[in-house]
Amino acid sequence: MSAEHSRDGEANERPIATQTLEEALAANGDTEMVVDVDEPTQQLVLFRLNDQQFALPGSSVSEILPSDQPVYYVPGLPTSTEGVLHLRGKIESVISLHQLLGLPTPEGAPKGMILLVRAAGITSGVRIEQLDDVCEVAQSMLQSPPETLPDALRPYVSALWQIDERQALALLDPEALFDAYQQGLG
Amino acid sequence: MPLHHDHHEPAQVALVLFCVGPYRAALEACHVLAMTDHPTTLRTANAQTLFYEGGDHDSPPSRWLTLRAAPTTSRENNSTWQLGVSGDITLQQFPNNTLYPLPKLLLSRRFSTALCGLTFDQQQLVLLLDARQLNPPLSQAPALSQPTTNS
Repeated sequence: MSAEHSRDGEANERPIATQTLEEALAANGDTEMVVDVDEPTQQLVLFRLNDQQFALPGSSVSEILPSDQPVYYVPGLPTSTEGVLHLRGKIESVISLHQLLGLPTPEGAPKGMILLVRAAGITSGVRIEQLDDVCEVAQSMLQSPPETLPDALRPYVSALWQIDERQALALLDPEALFDAYQQGLG
Repeated sequence: MPLHHDHHEPAQVALVLFCVGPYRAALEACHVLAMTDHPTTLRTANAQTLFYEGGDHDSPPSRWLTLRAAPTTSRENNSTWQLGVSGDITLQQFPNNTLYPLPKLLLSRRFSTALCGLTFDQQQLVLLLDARQLNPPLSQAPALSQPTTNS
């Protein structure tokens, strides 16, 4: 009882700041993930290639396939074409973005999940090395690609997400990727 | 009396299956006029060299499929040529709903425009080739004519 009296006494001296439950929960949660519901957001699929972080718009990724999804090699195609997969009565291509993005091609058998990407009327599997997250990001967090972006990436990056001072993530444009691939790049 | 067809049953497509190097491939049967053990026409080509890069690894064909050449002049309407293939050669019917076109993204990247689709035979990928796109180069050296076995 004496403790309560003591707190009451302090309360009388200083006004207690009040907070709603929502505010309290938000303050104790992961503040980086809090999104103003009124602000337009974009769903991103975050992944890694050659240990670099990239993202594709969630609207363009129709499915995330497991790494053990069988991929059939097809001869007579560029090395950036891993093959095709047979998915529910359809055949889809599986490509690697390494050459297109100017990244070193990983050695050994491809591993990692496959993103089924749809853009410009084309559907294709894209092999990634690691899936990091699928998240909603406020549009305001996405900035125009900077001038310092490497030339190899520039045509395919639609925005940059500066996660923190040290981390930035390139949002890829799937239409630009497929268009370049069809033109013989990568 | 008209034949009764079940409209739920997919149409069948007759294909001639063979090997191109380590890969299984197929041509629509209507384009294959004959099969011989040795080349009998002046125009021949090993399927491997027509179909993908890597001639160094070519293995000699064990069978020759006679195909009608795409006419380039009115006098060549009936000319034929032979495609060198290997492996077991079989004639099979495939339901049309199991023959898949090559995915759009790959159409402009294929080494040969003859690669037009894909299917599966006993869980093995089969490359579907368009015979009309498979023409040997006109400067192809003539092959030796030897005794033949028509199939």
